[in-house]
Amino acid sequence: MTKKLALFIDEDLCWGCDACELACKQENHLSEGSRWIRVRTKGVQRVNGKLKLTYSPARCVQCTHPPCQEVCPVKAITQRSDGIVLIDSNGCIGCKKCIEACPFGVMQFNQEKGVAEKCHLCYHRIDQGLKPACVDVCIGRCIYFGEMAELVNRYGERRWLSGRNGNERTTGL
Amino acid sequence: MIGLGGQDEKILRSHCRICHGGCGVLVYVKEGRVTKIEGDPQCPINRGTLCPKGIASLQLVYHPNRLLYPLKRKGPKGGGGWEKISWEEAYDLLVSKINEYKNGYGAESIVLGYGTGRDNESFIYRFANLLGTPNVLTAGHMCYGPRVSTSIITCGNLPVCDYEGNPKCIMVWGNNAIISNPDEYKGLYLSDALAKGAKLIVVDPRFTKLADRSDLWLQLRPGTDVALALGMLHVIIEEELYDKEFVGNWIYGWNEFVDRVKEYPPQRVSEITWVPEEKIREAARLFAKTKPACIQWGVAIEQSINCVDNNRSLIALAAVTGNLDVPGGMVFYVPPPVMNASQFGLHRLLPPEQRKKRLGGEVFKLADAFAIINPRFVWEAILYEKPYPVKMVFLISSNPIMTRANASMVYEALKKVEFLAVSDFFLTPTAEMADLVLPSATWLEMDYVAEIWKRHGYALARQKVIQVGECKSDHEMLLELGNRLGQKEYWWPTLREALNAILAPSGLTFEEFLEIGHLQGKMEYRKYLKKGFSTPTQKVELYSTRMKEWGYDPLPKFREPPESPISRPDRVKDYPYILITGMRPTAFFHSEHRQIPWLRELLPEPLVEIHPETAEKEGIKEGDWVVIESPRGRCYQRAKLTLGIDPRVIGAQHAWWFPEKEAPEHGWKESNINLLTDNDPSTCDPAMGATNLRVLMCRVSPKKD
Repeated sequence: MTKKLALFIDEDLCWGCDACELACKQENHLSEGSRWIRVRTKGVQRVNGKLKLTYSPARCVQCTHPPCQEVCPVKAITQRSDGIVLIDSNGCIGCKKCIEACPFGVMQFNQEKGVAEKCHLCYHRIDQGLKPACVDVCIGRCIYFGEMAELVNRYGERRWLSGRNGNERTTGL
Repeated sequence: MIGLGGQDEKILRSHCRICHGGCGVLVYVKEGRVTKIEGDPQCPINRGTLCPKGIASLQLVYHPNRLLYPLKRKGPKGGGGWEKISWEEAYDLLVSKINEYKNGYGAESIVLGYGTGRDNESFIYRFANLLGTPNVLTAGHMCYGPRVSTSIITCGNLPVCDYEGNPKCIMVWGNNAIISNPDEYKGLYLSDALAKGAKLIVVDPRFTKLADRSDLWLQLRPGTDVALALGMLHVIIEEELYDKEFVGNWIYGWNEFVDRVKEYPPQRVSEITWVPEEKIREAARLFAKTKPACIQWGVAIEQSINCVDNNRSLIALAAVTGNLDVPGGMVFYVPPPVMNASQFGLHRLLPPEQRKKRLGGEVFKLADAFAIINPRFVWEAILYEKPYPVKMVFLISSNPIMTRANASMVYEALKKVEFLAVSDFFLTPTAEMADLVLPSATWLEMDYVAEIWKRHGYALARQKVIQVGECKSDHEMLLELGNRLGQKEYWWPTLREALNAILAPSGLTFEEFLEIGHLQGKMEYRKYLKKGFSTPTQKVELYSTRMKEWGYDPLPKFREPPESPISRPDRVKDYPYILITGMRPTAFFHSEHRQIPWLRELLPEPLVEIHPETAEKEGIKEGDWVVIESPRGRCYQRAKLTLGIDPRVIGAQHAWWFPEKEAPEHGWKESNINLLTDNDPSTCDPAMGATNLRVLMCRVSPKKD
């Protein structure tokens, strides 16, 4: 069986600098409004009497059983044997059902083309033996790419679902 | 070229300059167009990382609104009318205006200017010194210049945190090196040091991500940094935590310094700074006992009436704890063998009688010694012709309507000045006021021996990968203009020859330098053991002989900010909050980049930080447009409620204009925090002339429409 690939992000080490967002935009030629990886934060919180500031880079986690795939009426969403979930932009009819179905709120909509899109782990790079564009640009060195089993083993499941609790980032800093 | 990317794609190595520069990059070029910019994994400065701005350079170079050829004003000044002209016509106009004013009013009537500088500083100074004007308007009075000049008179050179030497304790003082450029090391080194387990003390009125990661966060009252540092020194001296051997051998004026420090016991300092006494003690002990330790400092504490003494007291903290020029402490980097920026600047060729005419030179003597002027004196010379008239301003990468204190006065001065020339990438609110606008090349369009003015031990190769329109690098433009003005003897026929001259001490040509990518000086620690410190007494002058000569207090002391609830209790009723300005976002460098779509998306509108309790009291909700008012003016920014700021403090962003809004104003009056700041010389640092941008009084209210 092919090994599942994934990105792991250690949120404790994320500085919130937005470099991953820009590296992704450049690599995947994204227009405004489409943010395949997006640094979210709830801002400064008081936790057990202490102030806390956490940044959560949200992106598609390449679900094992993707809800987006299940709801797509035209079967434009497929999953590769390495786990990467792909959207066929030629097949997508822009119905946005997948956007509603995504439990992490990371599915994006390309206004110009009228199609859904999202992080695909830069599969065009991976297939050439490179890492996704967001990995090496990070000064916090908090984005790891590899086999899911190994990453889970090394870092635990604790922070897999980044983005679920992160509020929409509205305030920039 | 270092290799091939995809089909027909070349990869070239260069160094980024979207901010204050220095990161190594790989630039992908296909059919004469840049297609991608990546961090260079082989560059020791950033090791493959890159910030959002660096990547977005791609959208800067090809921006549809970029200036592509010289423009001459058509119609009234600031009226938005332009006529395209050739470079030859532009040079002819500049030569005739420069000669007219030089002959009629003296070279001092011509002011050259830059903002933070686009690595063009040494060319601008060379040009000005050869022209004979002592007036180069920079940000140097309140940014980096104070660090360098104060360090030179105190310990001979700028001490920089030596991350490669593995500091065990880092004190980040009024600095967010992670998302802004600290000039020497980049944020990556700080991040790595923390990952390796270094202790972290953060001094900041705002709760940043660095504060979140810290062992100790000292949330001080804005503007009281020197008191806090002297309070920590009090603890270190009282508890004998200082390095007795170093102090005995290498400190000048120890007894006088100790007497001064005694005036700052933690209890008093706590009252001044709002920092609890126990935290002051804890921070002092952690910093003094953890070896090696360093201080990551920056511009925030320089834009203050206490500028020089803030810097001096931090140098004192590093010195007395034995952390100067030791591995992992605060070190003096050794420059590589190239001509340095100061030599290239030809300061020695400025005639002494011209030097005496430097605007404000007799007032701010430390600044004068480093060829730096306070902007207010330029605006006054234009508006009131005192002490003599300034007739021409030539701004090369500067947007003072957004970035200088008292924006209304700046605007009036630029409106009045007889001839304003601006070299920049876009028609900024400042360029819109010009008589002549020159299209400047970005870092992707220029060859240069880069960043030789920084005290970081490197010379970096920057290479031209594309040509956009008729844009020219400021270096090339000044060289060509200098040649036309009869300065031929001191310039070269081509820029390439100038670059070879800069590289001459290394024995390399520019082509060979490009192959290597960078030069680094060979680091040596504890250089003072051989030759002492480069000060008049060869020691670290905690009692400054130069300051004494100039008639200033030779010892650091705390001055209450000129506008605070304590110095101006009469204003508390109308302006109940302390306003701090200039908090850095990741997306922009000062007034730049708001027209770049990828960056503007990160931060579409200006934000003002307000504590939720304060917001509730003032009837302000998250996301509301807020009116921020000081005794001098008002502007509007959107409310960002945060627990990360003291309820008594309001934190605003700076340099906001809206390129998308109608020319010629581009909305510069709407969110410009410098309509609120003051530039009165009495509010500036007495020796350096640093403008107090950071601590004001204000009121806030919801904007009614």
